[in-house]
Amino acid sequence: MLMEQGRTRMGPVHHELAGEPSFAPMIQIDMEIKAFVSAWRHCDYVSTYMARMISQNRSDSVRHSNLFSSAFNELLEVAFRTRHADGELACRVSRHGATDRIELTFPCVPEERQFYEQAVSQVAGTEARERYLNSVSGDLAPSREVVLLELAVDYNATFRVEEAEGDAIRLVVDLPLEGLEH
Amino acid sequence: MSPYDVLPRFRAQFDANNQEFSISGVVRPQAIDELGPSIASLRDAIGRVRGVLYVNVRRLTQMNNAAFHAFSRVILDACRARPDLKFVVITSSVVGWTSRKFGRLSGIEPNITVQEYDSEFYPGQGFLEEGGFVPILRSQTKMTWRHERAILPRHGMRHGIVMADICCGIGDFAVLVQKEFQPSRIVALDHSISSLTYARQVMREFDIRGIEYTYGDASEMLLDEAQFDLVTCRHSLQIFNRPELILKELYRICKPGGRVYITNEKNSHCLGEPRAESIRWTYNEVAKLFGHFEMDVELGPKSRRYLMEAGFEDIRVETFMVTNLDGDPQDFAEVIAAWADVYAGDMAARRGDGPEFVARFRQGFQDHIFAALHPKGYAGWPIWVASGRRPQ
Ligand SMILES: C[S@@+](CC[C@H](N)C(=O)[O-])C[C@H]1O[C@@H](n2cnc3c(N)ncnc32)[C@H](O)[C@@H]1O
Repeated sequence: MLMEQGRTRMGPVHHELAGEPSFAPMIQIDMEIKAFVSAWRHCDYVSTYMARMISQNRSDSVRHSNLFSSAFNELLEVAFRTRHADGELACRVSRHGATDRIELTFPCVPEERQFYEQAVSQVAGTEARERYLNSVSGDLAPSREVVLLELAVDYNATFRVEEAEGDAIRLVVDLPLEGLEH
Repeated sequence: MSPYDVLPRFRAQFDANNQEFSISGVVRPQAIDELGPSIASLRDAIGRVRGVLYVNVRRLTQMNNAAFHAFSRVILDACRARPDLKFVVITSSVVGWTSRKFGRLSGIEPNITVQEYDSEFYPGQGFLEEGGFVPILRSQTKMTWRHERAILPRHGMRHGIVMADICCGIGDFAVLVQKEFQPSRIVALDHSISSLTYARQVMREFDIRGIEYTYGDASEMLLDEAQFDLVTCRHSLQIFNRPELILKELYRICKPGGRVYITNEKNSHCLGEPRAESIRWTYNEVAKLFGHFEMDVELGPKSRRYLMEAGFEDIRVETFMVTNLDGDPQDFAEVIAAWADVYAGDMAARRGDGPEFVARFRQGFQDHIFAALHPKGYAGWPIWVASGRRPQ
């Protein structure tokens, strides 16, 4: 079972940025990236488990959990494809009003870091939607960039890349799911 | 191996009669090869249909982008190769992401349209989801609760359990249960957004905790299986044209060893004295009227059979009669007045009933009210309670 490999924390984890609304920590799961990438189904496990934990006090817990799991699973699948095989995966969820923030910290190689920085700046661009539609009708299986685009287009997600210690990157994704319902 | 590895988590199948390809469950493959047979079956389906192919994703709870892309490609390619063919993707309003995600396809190919499966698909659903029923439900629950609070413990209600109330309406039953029995968690589901909005407002105003209201379709719920000790579904099986499908879902979400509790009516058995004849006539007509809209308000005594056929064991059935003597007879009279409003009003009109019929129909309700308020009168409304245990 997953929780034997990873560690779950549900207490406060402080991490604040100046000038930002403060997001209240909800849950965090850490695990060795090696353990994580040992089985694909971990993406599904972690996303389903965390979605359930954080959705209970949303106005529609079942719907929220389904949407959250759907978005979070994509991010975990992105992290799963990392080319760096050492270090820790940390998933943290925090909340500010209608927005849930996912912070996904995972090891990656320098080229990947560059790739994420570029991808995130493109997702914020005005043609995000068009780029996403082109990819759906295109031949290639969805790349990591397309996955981020889709979250922006279908879930109104916004992204930021942060430095993390060691050979790691932190993807910060804000999901305004509560506003997305009905 | 965990069950996860053994059980297929999704199904894709083609129904040639309906020209319908359906995908259900959780589709999160690592590699597209895992979808090989399903993709082949979709291609095959496209090759065999004429006119329209329905792509039913109503029961699709999760699908990752890799899988979405793989299925979409087949459909988009087919649009180019077969301009004569149209695709109708049927999504569910309950699964929030499906309409958006599949909706993108119609922006790419005009031959693809996306329809959200919704209330119009249920015969008679409109009457019960719109505002008119709210006052009826309120007073009804107030009256039935006097009986049910004593009955529920015989059917598995206990402090600390995890329970679900399916077709919860405006949530007053959930609130009463929460106060009286304090289960550890209540999930209350309904398909009426206005009822849920009302329920949530009550919860906020009265600062009630522990109830999660959720929008959903009782015939295919997003709720995981085997998670509730008790699943209640009150006065609702009788409004579905195929109650066995709902019961199947109630069974699925109930834990093995847990119980499913249903209440239903047999409207033709409503009674009163004096003026028994007129009352009897009218309630016989109520049953026929609901029958016209494919709802069976005579279901009560059939509960035992339904539960048996759904696979339950240790089935317990009892009945109680709500009467004018229970509390304030005025409450009873109000409920009947509300029935008269909807049944002899909107419903009769929609069936196309003439003024003569409606007048006689109304008279029976008035006589029932007369009996309820009469100093020597007696008026009753019988309810069938039934529950069964899901085998271990
Ligand atoms: C007769 S009322 C009973 C409500 C409540 N259980 C009570 O006893 O007061 C039926 C309820 O079923 C709901 N309903 C109708 N179709 C539904 C569906 N497909 N899924 C979930 N709820 C549905 C209606 O919105 C309505 O609230």
